[in-house]
Amino acid sequence: MKNNSRLIVSDLFIGAVFLALGLIVFYSAWNMPRLETRGVPGYAIPGLVPMILGACLALCGFLLSLRSIRSGDLAAHFRSLEIPALFRSNEMRRLLTMLALALFYTLGMVGRLPFWIATALFTFAVIFIFEYFISDKQHGLARCVTLAAVEGVLVGIAITWIFQDGFLVRLP
Amino acid sequence: MLFSEGLAMLGDGIGHLMTLSNLFTIAWATLLGIIIGMLPGLTATMGVALLVTLTYNMPGDQAILSLICMYVGAIYGGSRSAILLNIPGTPASAATSLDGHPLAKKGLAGYAMGLATTSSAIGTVVGIFCLALLAPMLSELAFDFGSYEFFWLAAFGVVICGKLTSPTDALKGYISGILGLLVAMIGMESLQAYQRFTFDMPELSGGVGIIPAMVGAFGFAEILTVMRNRKDSQVITSKDRVIPRFVDVWRYRRTIFRSGIIGTLVGIIPGVGEDIGSWASYAAARRASKEKEKFGDGSYEGLTAAETGNSAVIPGAMIPVLTLAIPGSTSAAVLIAAMFIHDIQPGPTLMIQNPSFLYQVIAMLLFTTLAITAYGLSMSKLLIKVLSIPREKLMPIVYILCVVGPFAITQRMFDVYVMIFFGIAGFILRELKFPMAPIVLGIILGTLLDTNLRRGLMLSGGDPAPFFTRPISMVLCAVTFLAILLSIPLFRKMVASLFASIGLSRAPVKTADKPSQL
Repeated sequence: MKNNSRLIVSDLFIGAVFLALGLIVFYSAWNMPRLETRGVPGYAIPGLVPMILGACLALCGFLLSLRSIRSGDLAAHFRSLEIPALFRSNEMRRLLTMLALALFYTLGMVGRLPFWIATALFTFAVIFIFEYFISDKQHGLARCVTLAAVEGVLVGIAITWIFQDGFLVRLP
Repeated sequence: MLFSEGLAMLGDGIGHLMTLSNLFTIAWATLLGIIIGMLPGLTATMGVALLVTLTYNMPGDQAILSLICMYVGAIYGGSRSAILLNIPGTPASAATSLDGHPLAKKGLAGYAMGLATTSSAIGTVVGIFCLALLAPMLSELAFDFGSYEFFWLAAFGVVICGKLTSPTDALKGYISGILGLLVAMIGMESLQAYQRFTFDMPELSGGVGIIPAMVGAFGFAEILTVMRNRKDSQVITSKDRVIPRFVDVWRYRRTIFRSGIIGTLVGIIPGVGEDIGSWASYAAARRASKEKEKFGDGSYEGLTAAETGNSAVIPGAMIPVLTLAIPGSTSAAVLIAAMFIHDIQPGPTLMIQNPSFLYQVIAMLLFTTLAITAYGLSMSKLLIKVLSIPREKLMPIVYILCVVGPFAITQRMFDVYVMIFFGIAGFILRELKFPMAPIVLGIILGTLLDTNLRRGLMLSGGDPAPFFTRPISMVLCAVTFLAILLSIPLFRKMVASLFASIGLSRAPVKTADKPSQL
C-alpha cells in the first residue's frame, strides 16, 4: 500500500515535470532558426524532431499525472507516505552518505590531489564510514580504521598502476 | 553468399582467434565477466561499458573480443548468485532464481550451477546458429532500406522496447524512450550542422557520449541502489556434483531448442534484452511442460529454460547490431559504440566492406561459450568465494572505475560530470519505475530517427506519403502504431471484446511475476 501510494504521488509530480519539460523543449525547438536564407524547407528545419518529441513528452507527462489524479484519494496517499520518517530511515542515510562521498571525491578531490591519494582517501572513507558508523554489525574502531586505511592505500596504488601502466590510460 | 564461402570465413575467423594473445584475452575477459555477473549490483551492461574504456588502446578485433567475452560471461555469471543467494547477479538471471535457488536449498546447488552452465552454453550455440543463418539474409534485406524504412525502424525500436521493458506500465517505457531520443538531439545535427540544446557549452557540440551516459545509468545508479539497501542474504554452499547427467540435458531437448529460438528472437527485437528472453522462455516452458507443478519449486526444466533463453539473446542481439547498427540489448548498444571507436562500421554495408567480421564475431561467441563451459564446470566451487566480497569494499572500487572510464576516452572531466548526471537521474528514474533500456536505445537511435525523417521528407519534396506506402515502411508503421494502441486500456478492451465476440478468446495464462525494471 505504501509503495503504491509512493508511486501514485511520485507519478503526479514526475508527470508534471515531464509536461513542463516537454513544453520547454517544444518552445525552444519552435524558436530554433528556420534557416530560410540557406534555402532549408520547413519540413527539414533543425527543430522539427525536437518539436515532435517535446509535444510527445508533454502529452505523456500529462497522461501520467492525469492517471495519478484519477487513481483515487490523493490526499490519503500523501498522508500514508510519512515523508519525515522516509528521510530519517537507514536506507536514506546510506544513500545520501554514498552520494555525498562520491560527489566530494569527483568534484572536490579528483584533479586537485594526486589521483592515487584522492582514490585512497575515498576508498578509506567509504569502507570506514559504512563498516563503522552505518553498519548492522559492531566492529572495533582501531580494527576498522586500520583495515580501511590499508585497503584504501592498496586500492589507490593498484588502480593507478593498473590503469596508468597496464592499460596506458591517462588518469584525471 | 554461398554456404561454402560462409564456412570458409568461419574457419578463417576461428583461425584468427587461435593466437596466444587472443586466447589469453578470452580467458581473462570471460572470467572477469563471470565475476562481474556473479556480483549482485554489477550488471553485464556496466561491465561492458567499463571495459570499453580499458580496451581503448587495444587493436579493434581484440577489443571487441574482450567485450563479447565480458558480455557472455556476465550474463552467464548472473546465474551463480541467483542460485546461491536468490539474488540475480544481473536482471537476466531473475527467472533463474525461481528454480535455481529452491534446488540449492535442497542441497543441489552444484548440480543447479552445472545445469545452468550447460543450458547457457547450448543457448548461446542455438543463438550463434541463428546469427550465422539470419544475419546475411537480414543484411541483404537491409539494402532495400531507405530513409523511410530507417525512420520507422528507429521509431519501432523505441516504441517496442518501451512497451516490452515496462509491460505493466507502457507509458513509463514510452517516456523513457522519448527522454533518450531527446538526449540524442543535443549537439550538432548532421543535415544543417546546427547546434541544438548546447547552451553555449562547447563540450556539448559533439552530443552526449553514450559511454559516459551508460556508465552513469548502469554503474553509478546501481552503486547507489546497492549501497542504500540492506546487506545481502546468506550464501548457500555447494557439496554435490556439478557436471550434469546427459539424460537430464537430453530429456529437456525440446525446451532447450524452444528457449533458444525464443531467446534469439527476443534478442533481435531492438533494446529488449536478456531478462525478457529469459522470462519469455520460462513462461513458454511452463505452458508446454508436463511437470508444471514443479516450476518455482526446483524444476530442472524451468532452470534450463531460463538460462538457455537469456544466453540465446546474446547472439540474437548481435543480428541487428551487425546488419542494421541497431542494438538488440543495452550491452549490445555499448558494443556498437565500441565498434565505432575502433573504426568498425556495423550496418548494412558491413557484409560488403568487411564480411569476415560477422564470422569473426561468430567465432568469438563460440570460443567464449567454450570458456564459460570450462570455467562453469571446473571452477564452480572456487568461484563461489567471490560472493563473499563485502559491498563496502567493492562499491568504492566500482565507483572509481566509473570515474576513470569516461575520462579515459576523451580526457575531459566534462564526461565524468555527464556520468554523474546520468547516474543520479538514472537512479531517480529507476526508483520511479521507469525502465532504463528505452533511454539507451533512444540515445543510440535518436540521430537515425531525426536524420531519416527530415531526409525522407526532403527526398519526397515534403510529401509524407512514402513513409506510409512503401511496403517495409507500411509494415513497421503498422506494428509501431499497433503497439502504441494496445497500450491504451480502452483499445485493449475493444480488441478483447472483438475477439470474444468471434469466439477467439481464451483463458489468460498465468505467468510468473516479472519486475518491470531493466
